[in-house]
Amino acid sequence: MKDRVIRQSAAIALCVAVGLALFLAGCGGPADREPGAPARTISNIGSTTVLPLADEWRAAFNKVHPGIEIAVSGGGSGTGIKALISGSADIANSSREIKDKEVEQARAAGVDPVEHVVAYDGIAVIVHPSNPLDTVSVEDLSAVFSGHITDWGAIGAPGMNRIQVMSRDSASGTYEAFKELVIALRGKDKSRDYAASALKQTSNQGVLALVAQTKAAIGYVGLGYLDDTVKVLSVTPLGGGESATATVGNIMDGSYAISRALYCYTNGEPSGVVKEYLDWIKGPEGQAIVEQLGFVPLKES
Amino acid sequence: MSSAQRAWEWFVGKVIRLSGAMAIVFVILIFAFLLRDALPLLRSASLREILLGDTWLPTSEPPKFGMLPLVLGSLYVTVGALIIAVPLGLATAAFISEVAPRWIQEILKPTVEVLASIPSVVFGFLGLLLVGPWLMELLDLPLPVFAGLGSLMLAFMAMPTIVSVAEDAIRSVPTALRENSLALGATRWQTIRRVVIPAARSGIIAGTLLGLGRAIGETMTVLMVTGNAAVIPEGLVGILRPVRTLTATIAGEMGETAYATPHYHALFMIGLILFVITFLTNTIADIAVRRSGGVAQ
Repeated sequence: MKDRVIRQSAAIALCVAVGLALFLAGCGGPADREPGAPARTISNIGSTTVLPLADEWRAAFNKVHPGIEIAVSGGGSGTGIKALISGSADIANSSREIKDKEVEQARAAGVDPVEHVVAYDGIAVIVHPSNPLDTVSVEDLSAVFSGHITDWGAIGAPGMNRIQVMSRDSASGTYEAFKELVIALRGKDKSRDYAASALKQTSNQGVLALVAQTKAAIGYVGLGYLDDTVKVLSVTPLGGGESATATVGNIMDGSYAISRALYCYTNGEPSGVVKEYLDWIKGPEGQAIVEQLGFVPLKES
Repeated sequence: MSSAQRAWEWFVGKVIRLSGAMAIVFVILIFAFLLRDALPLLRSASLREILLGDTWLPTSEPPKFGMLPLVLGSLYVTVGALIIAVPLGLATAAFISEVAPRWIQEILKPTVEVLASIPSVVFGFLGLLLVGPWLMELLDLPLPVFAGLGSLMLAFMAMPTIVSVAEDAIRSVPTALRENSLALGATRWQTIRRVVIPAARSGIIAGTLLGLGRAIGETMTVLMVTGNAAVIPEGLVGILRPVRTLTATIAGEMGETAYATPHYHALFMIGLILFVITFLTNTIADIAVRRSGGVAQ
């Protein structure tokens, strides 16, 4: 009896060991791919902000070039860059600039990330429709979102409850962009970060719905998600000046303070069909789609 | 027994044993996997900073990996859920097995089980769109999402587990105990409260702990209705304020965390903490079930 127990335990231990060994072996280095190697299938992975654009680009490009297959998927900016590094993406979409750490990882894996700006996006600051406030400065927004100001009265809307700060989740590219552009005052005060009491939502729609329901709320969403359930604040740029609302025109002429670029990353300078696709995106047809979907086209087009 | 039958018996026996062993192997593999990806975090932060730190800002420079607000957030939501679910579940179980006539039993029992099969995202939607805004109006709260809303939603999700385990335990209390109690002049309510429920105690504790395991691991609902603010809840009012749970943090942040960064390892550390918590509660539940004579099985 005891003998059998020992034998069974040994068998289980062996199973575990073999399983572990197989598992660890599976976690080897990423497959490499020749930089800029031509492909007939383009794998396009990344940011959920860029996703609606990427989908439309794919559909429209396919009509002109039916022979080239483009596989588009989301997952987030970080996911896209991870996929570029591991060689499973030809183009990584990102709503933020690639991080230094990611460049290091890419270099270590023999991947050379090259940046392409493909569109611009504005981040609108929103409040409950009943909020009397119309204009806010970037400096005040920074103090509110970092928790230094918690009272509506301090930024010109007295007689309301404590400010309830709504943010995207730290996994979001919009979260990073808003932190850089507003909270850290474009890098002037890098020590500032979101207040711990900020409510983190996993989607733009989540922020929109919560701000629409909460009288004392303030939040931010991408330009394309705005609707009339919330009130959009006009923003005064850093250091003062004329305030502007988040509209395509104001973002193109640079008068709206909270806007950012949207990127595609490739491994090395693109060639073959990847180059063809990116050139088309940056060209008039691709940029027309950018405008259609509520994003902001590149200035030169 | 023919030799073909004997060979078949042998074969089936081995397959069943292998399936049993596989469950153990999977648990050990999951644990090993969590350890492998969680431990590198100790290079960026000490265990003290991780477990007792009060700030969770993993993407800040320098990052802060204090998990105390998350652990407390999970505790608030889970304990709140049990405070609602245990009395309700226990009363339902006692009603089904002791009081209700047969035809009500036959309707009530499957209905409670249906409650268990509703997907968690549905509870999340109910909380977010219906119950939350309604409670905000009713109690004049600043926000429609808060810890207590998560507790309320989780209570309904944990109740079926508590009801079915507690009901089995109550049912297995020997009839002689009830008859003796009634013969001594105790009322039906006194019998249930003083004799049946104490006799079924181990099974009830087991059901509660299994319900707790269900509640603490729940992700989708709490991600939607608890507001996700990583603050340390303050006293009793904390139940009406937003919190952030362990599970919601993993679900919310995993998507865009760069591979093998301290933030990535921190999320695995949260997974490890959750694993340890559920492992402990399940083990205690198991011991309680064993003591009561395996009623839950």
